[in-house]
Amino acid sequence: MSVQDLSQPSLAAVPLERRLAELTIFYEVGHALQRTMDQEKALCIILVGVTAGSGLGFNRAFILLLDEETQTLRGRMAIGPETPEEAHAIWRELQRNQETLGDLLNSILTNGIKKDKWINEVVSHIQIPLSDDTNPLVTILKSHEASRAANGLFLPHGLPVDEKLIRLFGTDEFAVAPLFLANKELGLLIADNAIARAPIDLANLRLLQIFAQEASAAIQNTRLHQRLIDQIKISEDQTITLRESQQQLLQLERLSTMGRLASLLAFRIRAPLASIGGFARRLLRVMPHEDARRDDLEIIVADVARLERLVGEVLAYRRISQPHFKPADVNALVCSVLATMHDEIQRNSVRAMLRLETDLPIAKIDEIQVRQALMNLVSNALEAMPAGGTLTVTTSVVTQFLEIEVGDTGIGIPEQNWNKLFKPFFTTKTTGTGLGLTIVSQVVENHSGLILFKSTPGQGTIFKLRLAINPEGKTVAPGGAASA
Amino acid sequence: MNTVLIVEDDRNLLRLYQAELETEGYRVVTASNGSEAAERVALETPDVIVMDIRMPGRDGLDTMAEILREYGRIPIILNTAYSSYLDDFLTWAAEAYIIKSGDLEPLKNKIREILAAHASPCDPPRNDDGR
Repeated sequence: MSVQDLSQPSLAAVPLERRLAELTIFYEVGHALQRTMDQEKALCIILVGVTAGSGLGFNRAFILLLDEETQTLRGRMAIGPETPEEAHAIWRELQRNQETLGDLLNSILTNGIKKDKWINEVVSHIQIPLSDDTNPLVTILKSHEASRAANGLFLPHGLPVDEKLIRLFGTDEFAVAPLFLANKELGLLIADNAIARAPIDLANLRLLQIFAQEASAAIQNTRLHQRLIDQIKISEDQTITLRESQQQLLQLERLSTMGRLASLLAFRIRAPLASIGGFARRLLRVMPHEDARRDDLEIIVADVARLERLVGEVLAYRRISQPHFKPADVNALVCSVLATMHDEIQRNSVRAMLRLETDLPIAKIDEIQVRQALMNLVSNALEAMPAGGTLTVTTSVVTQFLEIEVGDTGIGIPEQNWNKLFKPFFTTKTTGTGLGLTIVSQVVENHSGLILFKSTPGQGTIFKLRLAINPEGKTVAPGGAASA
Repeated sequence: MNTVLIVEDDRNLLRLYQAELETEGYRVVTASNGSEAAERVALETPDVIVMDIRMPGRDGLDTMAEILREYGRIPIILNTAYSSYLDDFLTWAAEAYIIKSGDLEPLKNKIREILAAHASPCDPPRNDDGR
C-alpha cells in the first residue's frame, strides 16, 4: 500500500498561469461568500466553485454537514447532472452565455438557488453517525486530511472503499475533503468527475483541500450567524413573554385589590342600606294611601332593594371559589328560588311556569352556589321582560348531567353580545355589576358542567345549566357557551 | 310576651330593628357589642337573639359560643352583611342565618317560626339557613 504525500506536487512545480487561475477562483468564491450569511446560499456558492468549469472543474460536488445535536453527518446539498446528456446540455448553455464564475456566483446571491433535483434527493438520504468508526468517511473527517478514492482505496489514508459508498455516489473515484475549523469538525466536501469519467489527480485533491478550508470558515460563519439570530429571537420572545407576564400580574394584582376593595365596600354598605330601606318601608306602611309622597318612598324602597342585589352580587363573586358538594334535591332548590323571588316576579307582571322532572336524581351540588346562579338567571330573565311575560323553569336529566333551563319571553340578547356574556364586568344595564353571568359560568365550571343558551331578539332567551350529577367523579368539562 | 335581644353595632339599624320588632309585639332589648350582649342575656333571659357577626371587640361568633355555653340553648339568628358565613362551620350552632336587608320580613318570619317551634315541646328545633 503506497501513501502519497499531498504536498506534492510543490507550488513551484505549478505553472504560473494555473496558479493565477486558482487564485482567481479563491478570490471569486471568497468574495461571494463574504456577501452572504445565508447558509443555503453559502453552500451553493461553495458547490458552484467546486463544479464550475471556470472553478475547480469537478463534475459533481456534495456537502455533508455534521448535525451537532445528533452527532450525525447528514447530506445537505449537492450539484451535478443526473446523466451525461444533462451535463452536456448544461455545459453548452454555460458556453453560450459566456458566464464567468463571478457571474454565476452573483446570480446565486441575487436570484437565489436552483437545486438539481435528482442529486439533492440522493444526498438528502446520506446519514452517517460520527460514532461509526468503520465508515472511512468518518475516519477521513476526523483526520482533517483530504483523501482520494480510486481503485478501491482511499489515499493517503489507505482505507478500503466499500461497495456501499460506490453505490451511493455512483462512482468508484471521488475526492473527500474534511470541513473543519480549529479542531472542530463541520462536515465533508466530496467531489467527483463521474460524468466525464476523468481521473482526479493530486493537484485537484490539493486544490479541493485548500478550497474546503475556505468553505469551512464560511460555513462556520453562517452557523454562528444563524445561532445568533436564533438566540436574539429567543431572547426577544422571552422579553415579550416576560413583559406579558408582568402585565398580567399587574392586572391580576389590580383586580385582586379592586376585588378586596369592592367586597369591603359592599360589606360596609349593607348595614346603612338595610337601615335606609327598612325605615323607608316603615314609613310607607303608616303613610295613608292617598298621600302622594308614597311614590317617593316606593322609589327609595325599590332602589335600595336594587342596591342590595348589586352588593349581594359583588360579595357572591368574591366567594365563588371552592365548592362544597352535598347531596341536594334540585327541584326543591328551584322551588325555593322562585318562592324567594315571588314578589319580584309578581311586580314584573311575569307568569312563572315550572316543569320539573319528577324522577330527578339527587345530585351532589353546592346548593348555595347553584341557588345564586339560578337567582341571577331568574333576575336577568325578569329584567328582559319589562312589560311582563312568561318565565319557564324546567329540570331534566341529560346523560350524566342535571339540566336546569331558565327561559323567558323577553327582548332577547343581540348577537354581537353573545361572546361577551360571561366576561366579568360586561353589562348592558345601567346599574349592573356585570358579574351576574360570570358568577353563573363560574358556578357551572365548579360543577364540571356547561352552559348553553339560545336567544332570539324580540322573542326571548333560554339558558340551560348542565351540572354534573356527581361533579367530584368527573375530571373534565369546563363551562362553555354555545348559541344558536 | 316574648323577649328578643338584638345585638348590633350599627345604631340606626338597631333602632330600626327595635321599632319593627316592638311593632310586632315583642319586648325588645338591645346590645351594641358582644360583652354587652352577654350581660343582657344574664339579666333579661331573651327567648331569641338576633346577632350581628362583625362587631368591634368580641365578634358575634365568639359571643354566640359563650352564650350557648353559659346559658344553654337560646335560639340565635345570625344577622350579617356577609353571605359567606353560610359555608362556615362556626355558624352551624346558630338557629338561622339572615342577610341584612331593608326588607325585614324574612327576619320577622324567622323569629315567629322559631318562637312557635320552641313554644311547643313536641316540635323539634328547626335548623335551616333561614332563607
